[in-house]
Amino acid sequence: MASARRGVVPAPPARVRDRALFANFFRRELKTRYLGSITGLAWAFVHPLVLLAVYHFVFTTVFRTERFGSESFLAFVAVALWPWLAAQEGIQRGATSLGGYAGLIRKVAFPHELVVYASVSATLVLQLAGYLAVLVALVAYGEPLHLTGLLIALPLWVVLGIAVIGVTLFFAALQVFIRDVEHVLMPALMILMYLTPILYPLKLVPESMRSWVAVNPFSWLVGRLRDALLAGNLALEWGDAVALAVALAIFFAGRWVFRRLSPHFEDFV
Amino acid sequence: MSTAGPPQGANGPPQGGGVAPVAASRTAPLLALDGVGKDYAKVESRGGQLRLVWDLLRGHGAAHVFRALDAVSFTLERGASLGIIGENGAGKSTLLKIVASVIPPTRGHVTVNGRVGALLELGSGFHPDYTGLANIELAAALLGLGPDEIAAKQDEIIAFADIGEHIHDPIKHYSSGMVVRLGFAVATALRPDILITDEVLAVGDESFQKKCVAWMEEYLHDGGTLLLCSHSMYHIQKLCRRALWLRDGRTERYGPAMDVTQAYLAFHEEKSARSREPIDATVAATAGVYAVQSLAIAPGEMLAQGDTLDVRGEVYSPDGRTPVVLIGIVRADGTPIYGVATDMEGIAPNRMAPDRFAFSFTLPGLALLPGKYVVRAHAMDPEGVRLFDHVERSFVVTGASREMGFVRLPHRWHDRS
Repeated sequence: MASARRGVVPAPPARVRDRALFANFFRRELKTRYLGSITGLAWAFVHPLVLLAVYHFVFTTVFRTERFGSESFLAFVAVALWPWLAAQEGIQRGATSLGGYAGLIRKVAFPHELVVYASVSATLVLQLAGYLAVLVALVAYGEPLHLTGLLIALPLWVVLGIAVIGVTLFFAALQVFIRDVEHVLMPALMILMYLTPILYPLKLVPESMRSWVAVNPFSWLVGRLRDALLAGNLALEWGDAVALAVALAIFFAGRWVFRRLSPHFEDFV
Repeated sequence: MSTAGPPQGANGPPQGGGVAPVAASRTAPLLALDGVGKDYAKVESRGGQLRLVWDLLRGHGAAHVFRALDAVSFTLERGASLGIIGENGAGKSTLLKIVASVIPPTRGHVTVNGRVGALLELGSGFHPDYTGLANIELAAALLGLGPDEIAAKQDEIIAFADIGEHIHDPIKHYSSGMVVRLGFAVATALRPDILITDEVLAVGDESFQKKCVAWMEEYLHDGGTLLLCSHSMYHIQKLCRRALWLRDGRTERYGPAMDVTQAYLAFHEEKSARSREPIDATVAATAGVYAVQSLAIAPGEMLAQGDTLDVRGEVYSPDGRTPVVLIGIVRADGTPIYGVATDMEGIAPNRMAPDRFAFSFTLPGLALLPGKYVVRAHAMDPEGVRLFDHVERSFVVTGASREMGFVRLPHRWHDRS
């Protein structure tokens, strides 16, 4: 029948479809985060600056952290704190992101991991914007920062993103079956933050415990960011390649778990 | 045709079965299911989820399962229409989800020749927090269209949905009918290869139902393929050429829609008839209800058009007061034709004993057209308000008349010859 094909939308390849779907989810994630607030997207920049001001007050006025030596505490913390906040928020939001798409998962065939990708990417993009805003603000304030260090710092964010997505895929899949995951994640991440030399330098950790703190991959990332942005060291290291390999390993492991469990989401989400 | 290929996409490794997209061909059926079954994992103990996750990660099936679907096979040619019928919990929705690739089958194979992405379930895939417009965009993205491509279709969708300014409201504020309207409108604009609908016609109002049925008929006429799940045998008979009756997850019957739906109706008639035998007098007395004790029809279960039908029986009264008897004639499918009660016409059943009353009713020159009918006798309280119980007898009117409808109405033609 000649009219049979009338108005039929040509079927796009799966990859094109997935990209369109990811773009839709991603825009949605960005929108929902700031839709309710009056300041809108500006909040993404205001929030980190306010937080930094609070830390500045607490650590330089109340606790008086002169022991840090000649380094500026403000720049020292700012460089490391945002990547951590990005990872923490990315994992926490991403781990529960599938719940918001329950209706879709129950009724429509699509790769469920796109939800996690969109959730984590939205968090990372917003946090990265805040990070850049903070760095610029600090330079304007007269802090000793090397903005050329971003040549190293930005690729490090990509490595971080790969690892965070892997970790989040793992927890998001688990969360569908075991509701306790999100309640365990929050304190666990909090503890991990204080075990990472973000608010203090590694050299203040007692010698006997230092290797335990240093084994944390995030400690490596923090050190590397400070090296680039505070010291202006732009040289590449072998450790960078190892970090990328570890991030990719985490990503593929997380994705393997996710894909193993995702056919059963429909019944449990 | 090969079904051996691994399933594509990111939904995971095959779990004993899979959906295999195969290059489109003119002769192969659009959709083929071969021995498809689905088990759902059951979590019984508190630590059961951990155990389940561990089993799934190791690639084992779940230890405790509920068999939702088993050994279902059928094929769907391009341009065909298949109705899925069955009671609640028979596995209809599970089957549709497997066809739409929402879940992988536990056993068997699903082969889809053509566009898997075009498989669509109506009204689904809507995000409750999105506005109507945003959901149109989402539906388009699920099919891989960009926002600009859907923009061209948007006016058509909004016009068909006909929900006015609500299109700017979040879906969660919609009534279920409005959601279906929008879902149907999206489906009409995107014209999928296979349209999968699960009970959509039951939700919309009368005029929208008609619009949907008209659209589906046109869609089928234009070569569209339909998988319709409905409790309305009328819609199944009207829209589907074949039907599949699911019972407890298995195929009870699969064949031409008319045969399968009639068998399904007969099954239900029989099931309910078992409960429509006269209630024993002692039981009725204990329960204190008015009950039909016996019901007989004459001349018998077969009669010709124009014959006289006699209906007689007895009614039990728990308090000795004269009950009201309501007699009704319905089609075999339950469509009411005529009903009349004793109190409407100032009649009282005859007292035979302190608690027993007899009634007798005659329909002379039966105007019913050939077909299967049921006569029902209802026992009501003396006030004619509460309906207690009914007993029925079926009969067949024979004849070769080609007149349409249920009843011959007195009529006269005026021709000048």
